[in-house]
Amino acid sequence: MNSVRNLSLNKKNSTLLKVFLGAIVLFLFLGALNIFRPQIRNYFYLASNPIESKLWTAGESVSNFASSVLRSGSLASENESLKSENQKLLSNITLLQSRQAEILSQQEAVLTYQDSGFQLLMAAMMGLDGADLISIDKGSEDGVKEGMSVVNQQNVLFGKVFKVYKNFSQVMLISNKDSVINVKILQPPLPNGPEKEVYGVVKGNGGLDAHLDFVPIDDTINNGDVMLSSALEGSFPKDLLIGSITEVIKNDQSPHQQAKIKLFLNLNSTNLFVVTNYKLTDN
Amino acid sequence: MWYKYVLIVAIFYLLEILQNSFFAHFNLWGAVPNLVFIFFILLVFFSVQGRPSFGLEIIFYGLSAGFFLDIFSSAFIGVSIILLIVIGLLIKRFQMLLVENRGQFSFFQFLLVFVIAFLVYNFLLGFYFYFTQLGTTFWRLDLKLAGEIVYNLIFAAIFFFTYKKLTEGRLDNRQLSLFRKK
Repeated sequence: MNSVRNLSLNKKNSTLLKVFLGAIVLFLFLGALNIFRPQIRNYFYLASNPIESKLWTAGESVSNFASSVLRSGSLASENESLKSENQKLLSNITLLQSRQAEILSQQEAVLTYQDSGFQLLMAAMMGLDGADLISIDKGSEDGVKEGMSVVNQQNVLFGKVFKVYKNFSQVMLISNKDSVINVKILQPPLPNGPEKEVYGVVKGNGGLDAHLDFVPIDDTINNGDVMLSSALEGSFPKDLLIGSITEVIKNDQSPHQQAKIKLFLNLNSTNLFVVTNYKLTDN
Repeated sequence: MWYKYVLIVAIFYLLEILQNSFFAHFNLWGAVPNLVFIFFILLVFFSVQGRPSFGLEIIFYGLSAGFFLDIFSSAFIGVSIILLIVIGLLIKRFQMLLVENRGQFSFFQFLLVFVIAFLVYNFLLGFYFYFTQLGTTFWRLDLKLAGEIVYNLIFAAIFFFTYKKLTEGRLDNRQLSLFRKK
């Protein structure tokens, strides 16, 4: 009886020893892999790039086609809402014309950004990771550095370079849970009185979504207001388009108001631009 | 039989590229179907217990699936590998405890196993990111997560029936041999 028990214990011990040794071998193997992690990642991205970019374009085309088919059913209601929106816009034209001077000054600000001498490096989007990271086909060899801002041709801010490899980089989208940006909320000019600037913070929610926070409770923000980067934190150039407000959330117990927002970033923008000479902060 | 493993590695690689690029345009609240994870769970679920190399097989699946998941993410190489190996071995243990009639691969059992494994994997991965680099809130039980699960379940169901169809004859043989052993 004792010998049977000993045999069973020995078998158990030998299995435990095997598991223990196996775990050590696995950890050593993984440790060794991580030493060469940048090279391994770079190699796989480089090898996958041709097929990945083809699949990305194919996905874009299929998605555009599918969404146009799906939307065809709601064209009638969309037409109605466009008509009412058109009427609203017509009534706004009068106000807008009277405020041409202000608009011109805003245009000047945009031109200032364009003329500010930022160097842009064109990059193609390659893939999306679940954690709101995208990969682009430019890396340290092309002069990309961590912390650089990434925009598209419409000046929509996508995010900043998070990790750089030799031939590609990972960009942390502004929807990433770790992303926080100071923003300026564009206000329609008041008929009488000085223009007021409203600031807030856009925080990523993950899943290509974000929300607006820390807007002082006394400031007025409305649905449809557009947000621009304010450059207060120094990570991004100012006046880059972020998104628009879709629902304002006020809580009397809080000194700040929040809002749901719709980000302008769109994965269908195949070509992006890395701002290579904007001041970089330590990340 | 070695070509089977080469094929599995190739499929994992292809699925990773697909989910990273093609399916990025079909994201639901930012969630993309995790095809590599689905295929891994499928392989583990259908692997037959009792063979001497059974444990090693699951380790191999976890190693190859986890490797590609880690390569195309910002995590250290090894995070998904370890998680998948542990989840894979636990699934088999779970199946052994739950199922009297071993060798029968019911669809609902698969769905149950998949949902639990998906939640565990995402929870632990969120936990890792919370303490290392990304993410201020590591896990939320909300509608977004529910949507993500349903979205992945649709693909898991497609994979399940395709796999079952493709391997029907072979699975039956395995089941028979398993019963004969009893």
